[in-house]
Amino acid sequence: MDLFLQQLSNGMVIGSTYAVVAVGFALAFTVLRVIQFAHPDVFMIGMFSGMMAAGFVPGGGLAVALIGGAVGSTAIGAVIERTVVAPLRGRDVLTTLIATLGVSVILQNGMAAVVGPDPIPYPRLLPSRFYEIGPLVLTLRQMFCLGLCAVLLALASFYVRGTHIGRATRAIAERPDVAAAFGVNVGQVCRITFWLASTMAGLAAVAVGTLYGSASAFVGLLYGLKAFVCMLVAGNRYFEAVIVVAFALGILEALVTGYVSSSLRDAVAFFVLIGVLYLRPDGLFGSYAT
Amino acid sequence: MSALLRIEGLAVSYGSVPAVDGVDLEIEPGELRVILGANGAGKTTIIKTIMGLLKPRRGAIRFDGEHDLLRLRPDQIHQLGIAWVPEGRQLWNTMTVLDNLRMGAFEVPDKTTINTRIGEMFERFPRLAERRHQLAGSLSGGEQQMVAIARALVSSPRLLLMDEPSLGLAPIVMREVFTLAQDINRLGIAVLMVEQNARQSLKVAHFAYLLEHGHVVEAGLATDIAGKKSVQDVFLGGSA
Repeated sequence: MDLFLQQLSNGMVIGSTYAVVAVGFALAFTVLRVIQFAHPDVFMIGMFSGMMAAGFVPGGGLAVALIGGAVGSTAIGAVIERTVVAPLRGRDVLTTLIATLGVSVILQNGMAAVVGPDPIPYPRLLPSRFYEIGPLVLTLRQMFCLGLCAVLLALASFYVRGTHIGRATRAIAERPDVAAAFGVNVGQVCRITFWLASTMAGLAAVAVGTLYGSASAFVGLLYGLKAFVCMLVAGNRYFEAVIVVAFALGILEALVTGYVSSSLRDAVAFFVLIGVLYLRPDGLFGSYAT
Repeated sequence: MSALLRIEGLAVSYGSVPAVDGVDLEIEPGELRVILGANGAGKTTIIKTIMGLLKPRRGAIRFDGEHDLLRLRPDQIHQLGIAWVPEGRQLWNTMTVLDNLRMGAFEVPDKTTINTRIGEMFERFPRLAERRHQLAGSLSGGEQQMVAIARALVSSPRLLLMDEPSLGLAPIVMREVFTLAQDINRLGIAVLMVEQNARQSLKVAHFAYLLEHGHVVEAGLATDIAGKKSVQDVFLGGSA
């Protein structure tokens, strides 16, 4: 029972990080109709820019790293939006998919050329301390990661459900033409949404770097695949569905690691994907009719 | 009197297939005009081009004499005071009735104004007031058409484009929609309607165009058009 609870909480921590990346993916896909394959690399850039910021400002610590992560990822997200996504908006999904895949390759290998292909140690932005909460043992880094991601997800949900521009993102997701004809500047809303997704990714990336104590130019690869799976499994009808699926995936992976084998962990996502797409091609929670 | 909307020599194609070819059309402030035509005559294409959703190959569309609509984005066109009731309603089905209406006044900065106008819509359509928190997709066809019309009216437009508002409605609801179009028009809002239901729409319209294969083949006062043989042909769908 203790192992179960422990793996459950570990899974929630991992799941929360998947959720932040997956939400960014899902926003880009439902609002902009773009499969933003470079999104996980925006996350990676945030991880490194946070690390650099923490290095530049002595004693700055976590707060500076978070700001650095957010600035770095938002900047690179804005550049991608301006140079690749906006000019291709309205084109075939495959066109932007290939274009963003190209950006992804450039970012990964560009970063690898600078920092090397192997993981490098991440600065210790939080002390290695752990807390016993009943039968659970959680590290401070895990708690920070889970807490930060939960706040980001809550804010993203509030953006989509509770704000004026957020309502427009849902309107665009369901009927882009009608939204435009009712006064929504679609290009502008897409831009803001893209920036926000990038900012979220950069903030979460600093927490993930701190959690694992390492950063790699290729960290986005696995994150990207899993976030992509979460989006497909969830379907795009309800924004929050992808969050639920991401948490479920994190927990499932942790349970498989705990009870079966850690080498099977990364395959779980794909078993789930195949199973769900076989039974419910529109995703577990349904998608907008196209 | 100067035209509120003037379309000259409009030609729109889908790929190499022409949908509208050399259409001239205008509407004056406070008028109700109808474009009649069978499926595929190019009616919806004209409406979508006015709204900025399709780019024409040739032609000009001017609003209020000074605005060249072809240079504007759809959201900018909407802000000039042109609102759209799309074919098949096209509501945001996953949003509530209230959110659909709020989206109709998206660019109105003042919340009080928005709420006042939505309140007016609920007075006009009491059934929508009852269902304000329901998802738009769960309403009946007639109710959805009311939402689509109310959504267009909350922006206080000067020109209302109605694309086949009677499509798929029960006959009694259909008549209600035409009466409603007339009521809206009597408030001083110009209405440009696209319809297949010639009998009903000619009763409420001042002026009518008959569209066939992307060309205007007849134009005149609604009362005159109603008597023409070519219109009778369209009623029967036998004009090809």
